[in-house]
Amino acid sequence: MKRLILLVVSVVLAFSAFGQEKIIIRIAGHSVDKPVKEALIRDVVAPKLPPNVEVVFEPVVDDYKQWLLTMLAAGTPPDIFYVDVYWAEEVVKTGRVRALDEFLAKSEILKKEDLIPVLVDAFTVDGKLYAISKDFNSLVVFFNKDMFDAKGVPYPSTDDDWFTFWDKVRRVHNPPEWVGICLNPDFARFLPFAFAAGMPFLNPDGTAPFARPEAIAAAEWFSAPIREGFGATAADLGVGWPGAAFVEEKAAVVIEGGWLIPPIREGAPLMKFGTTFLPTFGGRRGNYLFTVGYGMPVDEILPSKRPDLVWKVIELLTSPEAQSYILSIGHAIPSRAALLSHPVLASPADPFQEAMRTVFIATGLPGTVPFSFAPVGSIYHVVVAEALTKIFTGELSPAAAMQEAAKKLNAELKR
Amino acid sequence: MGKGAGLSRPPFMSWLRGPRRNELFWAFLFLLPLLWTLGVAFAYAFFRALWWSFCDYDLFASPKFVGLANYAKLFADLHFLKALFHSLSFAVIVTFTQTFLALLLAIALNQKIRGLTFFRAAFYTPSILSSVIVGLIFIWFTYRRGVVNFLLTVARNYHPYFLSFLGLVIVMQSTLVLWGRKRGFPVRAFDPVYLWISLFVGGVGTFFLGHFRLIQPKSMPPVDIIWLETAEKFLGIPRPLWAIMALNIGTTVPTMMLFFLAGLQDVPRELYEVAELDGASWWAKLWYVTIPALRPVMFLVITLGLIGTLQMFDQAAITSGVAPLDSVITLAYYVYWNMFGAGGLPRVGMAAAAAIFLAVLTLVVVLIQRRVGIGEKAW
Repeated sequence: MKRLILLVVSVVLAFSAFGQEKIIIRIAGHSVDKPVKEALIRDVVAPKLPPNVEVVFEPVVDDYKQWLLTMLAAGTPPDIFYVDVYWAEEVVKTGRVRALDEFLAKSEILKKEDLIPVLVDAFTVDGKLYAISKDFNSLVVFFNKDMFDAKGVPYPSTDDDWFTFWDKVRRVHNPPEWVGICLNPDFARFLPFAFAAGMPFLNPDGTAPFARPEAIAAAEWFSAPIREGFGATAADLGVGWPGAAFVEEKAAVVIEGGWLIPPIREGAPLMKFGTTFLPTFGGRRGNYLFTVGYGMPVDEILPSKRPDLVWKVIELLTSPEAQSYILSIGHAIPSRAALLSHPVLASPADPFQEAMRTVFIATGLPGTVPFSFAPVGSIYHVVVAEALTKIFTGELSPAAAMQEAAKKLNAELKR
Repeated sequence: MGKGAGLSRPPFMSWLRGPRRNELFWAFLFLLPLLWTLGVAFAYAFFRALWWSFCDYDLFASPKFVGLANYAKLFADLHFLKALFHSLSFAVIVTFTQTFLALLLAIALNQKIRGLTFFRAAFYTPSILSSVIVGLIFIWFTYRRGVVNFLLTVARNYHPYFLSFLGLVIVMQSTLVLWGRKRGFPVRAFDPVYLWISLFVGGVGTFFLGHFRLIQPKSMPPVDIIWLETAEKFLGIPRPLWAIMALNIGTTVPTMMLFFLAGLQDVPRELYEVAELDGASWWAKLWYVTIPALRPVMFLVITLGLIGTLQMFDQAAITSGVAPLDSVITLAYYVYWNMFGAGGLPRVGMAAAAAIFLAVLTLVVVLIQRRVGIGEKAW
């Protein structure tokens, strides 16, 4: 009898397993994330899902935004996709991205209050949240302690304003061994300082703000290392980006985000370096928030047809466990506010963990704005980049270049 | 018309029933893959783009017909006008230069010289490399402290050596040739034996001039030309675009050279023999035999050159990461920029209008070239 019951039970179980439909949840992200995301899915996400659900990470090697827009337009997006704060609003405006407030309100694992507020704002469009930030970055000052010690210059600190900071950089400049700072004509470095100086994104009448005195003052200050010769661009130092100049010890100071931590760990693991916040102007500090979140398409084009399961995967990917995992391997700085008490951030053991802590705190400081150019679009930074290039190469004075940039953007805004 | 005439007319679509039916069926079957590709990738895409060029469309909302508004907007857009100017100047300068250099190279490599195969392979290498890789290497080369500026610095500092070497070679060669001719030998200006002697004398002479400090390297500051990260212009064309032209010429010349080399093999030998009987010099043979015989190839090279240069995209896209947009934007890049680069939702209407304009422009430029430039007939 027992045997018969066992047989019946196994047959029923076997059939029910066959009867369960296999559900595949596709996540598309940057190809560089593949190893980490696959490990995260295997170790943290998959064990907490029903056995018939499989989560697959699909790396995208192409221009991600271009790929996503065409997928959304064709109605064939993945279940979960990355949303970069840089183009979040554009993608949301397609009407094919689902608002997540309804899920968030019901969630046990993830509450709005768990996330760092600026990260929630970054993905909020017209009062609705469209993506859950997975990690983030912001700008900090990286400095080489050995170079500062060699020149007897005090380290840059959180007390520095624009002028005391340049003074230190000028004094640590030591050609031909190293330059004070490696700085590119990069709008993403310049604009936070211009905002700190009081330049608004647009003038109240909707015109370009670049000809305002505070914008010109910021351009004059920002370009000083190149114009006065205590800094150099990456190309002048024969490297691809300022971070490489820092790793190769060709520059004493660079302004970068947490993405510089892995290259230092790999290229100069023994380097004595420190990090601090960007210098202030009149007590104000600016910064950019770079972040990428998980979003999902509206139900009509959701391939798995299971929004509840897709949300569950997003919850698991941003759960405290998953984010601790990301933090402990030093891959990125995760988005939960509570992680400040994680040992890596609470009591950093080395300069790398200290750098992560600086970035984490810098992001929450007042003056940090999302790295987004909505509603103007990329033409906003195209004209700024051109102006900075002309200033750096000496073709135009800061005032003339910024006035030209204002004129150009105004012409574009009128279109 | 009697009944008979009506009866003699073949039945409607009789070929479908006739003995050729099988043959036609198989012909269509084999053509199908090509027809399908042409239909989808060309005809469908073209007509779709043509329709969108008359619409306001962003890939998401339904297309809204706006007539010629997109075309009117193109000509009011400063970026488009810059792109048009850049594309046209790029096409003219690059096509002319690359055709000229490819012809020279082909003629040089058509001689019976030692190591010919090596030179042919070496010159062709740039063409088989990925243009993205070549573009990236090019960006490194054009850094302010890059290879290009380094070589220019070396050339500027060591020019006394180059000039004295060149001067000594010319003086020696002229002396030898004049001496030879005076003794009644039919010596050519570039007689190889004399040239080796002249090169040797030039080298040794320059060494001793340097050794005894009669010539010295200059110590001028390093050449500091910013090739890409600049909005400066030369002859009205942005400097970064000149740099891209140099890159494009360097990578396209070898392919064009192959066409000319193939063309040179086809020039009838009898023509040269007849010319030689008439006492034609090397130049006369080149000018009156080789170049006219190569006209069909030249037509092909120029036409392909114009089409390729007008549609140039990849090199502009790669360098746009470094150079200001307005300095490198071309028509093909303008299309892409409107679609995915400008921020906001894709401006499909503008991109499609620019793409159609580019297609028509390419066609017109090629037709004008054919009408007033070099045609496809040899003589």
